Amino acid sequence: MPATEAAVGFAPRQAATGEELDLAMQSLWLAGRILPVGAHLVVRHTFRSQEQKPIEVIYSFALPRDAALRRFRVSGEGFSVRSELKPVQEAVRAYEDGLQAGHLSTLARSYRDGVVNLTLGNLRPGEAVTVLLEILCGVELHDDGLRFRFPFTLAPSYHARARVGEAAPGVGEIELPEDEFGDVILPRWAAEVSGLHEIGFRLTVEAGAELASVGSPSHAVDVKLENGRRGSVMLARERDVPNRDLVLDVRTREAWSGTLAGLCRQGQGHFAIVIPSSRFGARPEEPRSVVFVLDRSGSMSGAPIAQALKACEACLAALDSQDRFGLVVFDDHVEAFRAELVECSRENRDRAREFLAGVDARGGTELAAGLKAAARILRDEGGDIFLLTDGQVHGTESIIEQARAAGIRIHCLGIGSASQDRFLALLARETGGVSRFLTPSERVDRGALELFASVGRPVATDVTVESEGLGDARIEPKPAGQVFSGTPLVIFGSTQGAAQGALRVRWQNGGERRALEVPVEIGPNSMGETLRLIRGARLISDWESRTEEPPEEGALGQRRQRRAQERLRRLSETYGLASREMALVAVVERAGDQPGELPKTTVVPVGMPEDVEFGAYFPGVRSRMVYHQLLREPKGQAFGRVLLCQADTRAKARKARPSWDILLELASAIEPDGGMPGDDDEERALASLLALLCFLAEGNTETSGPYRRHVQRLVAFLEKVSLNERHRRIADGVLELARRGGSLPGNWLELLALGPAPDCWNRIAERLAEEAGRTSGLP
Amino acid sequence: MTELTLAELAEQTGVPERTIRYYIARGLLPPPIRAGRGACYGPEHREALERIRRLQARGLTLAEIARRLAGETRRDGLPTPSPWWSYPIAEDVLVWVRADAAPWRLKQVREALLDLAARLRTNQQEEENDRDAGD
Repeated sequence: MPATEAAVGFAPRQAATGEELDLAMQSLWLAGRILPVGAHLVVRHTFRSQEQKPIEVIYSFALPRDAALRRFRVSGEGFSVRSELKPVQEAVRAYEDGLQAGHLSTLARSYRDGVVNLTLGNLRPGEAVTVLLEILCGVELHDDGLRFRFPFTLAPSYHARARVGEAAPGVGEIELPEDEFGDVILPRWAAEVSGLHEIGFRLTVEAGAELASVGSPSHAVDVKLENGRRGSVMLARERDVPNRDLVLDVRTREAWSGTLAGLCRQGQGHFAIVIPSSRFGARPEEPRSVVFVLDRSGSMSGAPIAQALKACEACLAALDSQDRFGLVVFDDHVEAFRAELVECSRENRDRAREFLAGVDARGGTELAAGLKAAARILRDEGGDIFLLTDGQVHGTESIIEQARAAGIRIHCLGIGSASQDRFLALLARETGGVSRFLTPSERVDRGALELFASVGRPVATDVTVESEGLGDARIEPKPAGQVFSGTPLVIFGSTQGAAQGALRVRWQNGGERRALEVPVEIGPNSMGETLRLIRGARLISDWESRTEEPPEEGALGQRRQRRAQERLRRLSETYGLASREMALVAVVERAGDQPGELPKTTVVPVGMPEDVEFGAYFPGVRSRMVYHQLLREPKGQAFGRVLLCQADTRAKARKARPSWDILLELASAIEPDGGMPGDDDEERALASLLALLCFLAEGNTETSGPYRRHVQRLVAFLEKVSLNERHRRIADGVLELARRGGSLPGNWLELLALGPAPDCWNRIAERLAEEAGRTSGLP
Repeated sequence: MTELTLAELAEQTGVPERTIRYYIARGLLPPPIRAGRGACYGPEHREALERIRRLQARGLTLAEIARRLAGETRRDGLPTPSPWWSYPIAEDVLVWVRADAAPWRLKQVREALLDLAARLRTNQQEEENDRDAGD
């Protein structure tokens, strides 16, 4: 540890020089409790002024998924005051009047796209103040665990009318149009993150079922499992920088199926029921139609686009020959592979891969245009959209509105260290799809293939939920109408008071109508209040995505908008949670407050998300380097390829080649009939056999592992391919092994890479014999 | 015009109070007339706010507006440099476009250039055809 770090006192210091940093907001600490159906968080913001005059500090942050602010407490020397919830205009007035009177005023107000401005006014020279902000949010629940995501930085996002520039070298700024976004102030983005506020966290996890593991693909964490079902997780380092989201992965030993219920403070009953997708029956293996929509905007440049392309190729390879697909890439204009859906023939797939090979990242994020093009491709036949994006775009409410109107299911794969989780979760849910996300260092195959396998094949459709014996129970928000494998059905509801009864869930699986009954018992239990708040936050997020601004033309549009605002306000009042219509405000009168003094306004900077190039958003000094590089490149056609791409990052991202990466390539090489390519049947069979052994060796079987679909297809091919008698015997031996879920030791990847030589048959036969010897106990 | 309070200035111009304070802190607006309790704002503040709105509508960022108001010169006497793209849209035509414009503006420009390039191509084609016909 460098000597300077040991000497750190209260204030953060510049890592390189040990100089004290002049930061209005010095640290951000996240604490809270994560449940299977949501989380209750408290964020501590520490402010301290080193200015000579009073200041007004604006900290801008992004809400997690399904989130709402509950309240805050502002504390300093001799005071500790709790916020009040007021309609936005009244809250702003109270804040301004407090400021004018010289008092310490604090306002937390949310804007479109889940952006919140926390404004602290009249912080005196040398004064230290903390703001403890309570947030309720959702989690991404899986059958076998959950993922939790908290944005420590707000990713810069695209908007066609945004004004973008460099305020100072290495500091970017984005200003959004006032007519759509009001007076929101976005943070400044710093390319160099070492001089920013510190972040840290400590969270407890209660998973329902027994915990198998808790970890983080984004941060170094210390994990303590207290008993089977509870654990705590904290940042392993003393401090970290705000340049990426916190992602926690919680895995349970078995799928959790259960009920959380209790009475809230007002005496109402609240419940949340989780039913794993495996309870709904098998996934129908019918042909499907899928349009891939790939975001190639500038913010994806570097590792994210490389990751997205890999995911796309792997998913293409998981399609069957009866499936049909389309492919759309977009930035600020849209390109489609074909104008309609095409058969998944070998030729079409090769063409699609060639098409993908020409894709690099550049330009803006016209997501709505990309989705529209995909909807056109699917027009009459119906099908699903599989969207790969970082979601870094503003004006998400209107994108969701348009997607909902198009009536096509959208499944989202979020990419990047600060993808807009809130937006992508809403987009998928509001259109009846499922969302997952990948973090930068993560294996592409696991999340992408898992999600893709469920696309277009719900295990349950027409899901209905009725209550029995629970009085006039309200089932709200409306549960999903379909269930996809891997993602459980979650049902939220409330009752008048303590109750005992059941929920009857009915659904369609294949041609069959099925039903299931879940007993519900609601009694006094501390869980009730938390459930009420989590449910309220979810309802508010849903409604916020439905209030489109600016409204449609004419009186009808305005009436609709007013109704939606009214509804949002009522929800806020009912649940005691802030929304776009209701804000939180606190005014603290301190001794010696001087009225009329004008505080100096400062904006808290945040870090660029670690995998987003600074130059991807902020043209200026740095992007000129890219410009020169492009000039040097001999390119006849300068159109299109010019903006926002950094050619070298993509190559860098491809350098590392872990074994799963090679598997991914193998998977994409599989042909529509399920076999590997080759000159004749013998050669194809041998290559397929070797590929199968590679997948088995990495723990994939016909029923488990990210590549189970590929294993199934290789097995099906090998079963029917014509072989001579000896080779058939060897192949059957391996197939037998595959069915048992076993594997053979050997350097199969290498053999395959060298080009399968006839000698390989012997190698496989030898290993099979050894294996047989071992299992039968003979020498 | 009489002197205005911050709230009155905000109401008359439609610019929220917090935004006005932010502009003052960034040097886009002069500080209020008199400090402390008697702070107030005059016509120059109103005019400056209107000018900022106009420049914003043209796609300028606050940083650019500040630079413009400060006289666009740097301490070393050199004007602020700006990046440009060059589009060779035909063998004999080169068009320069400012690279740090807003995305929507660049899109407009690109579309216009595509049109121009297409037109130049057709003209050339026609000329060649004419020449061929004349021969």
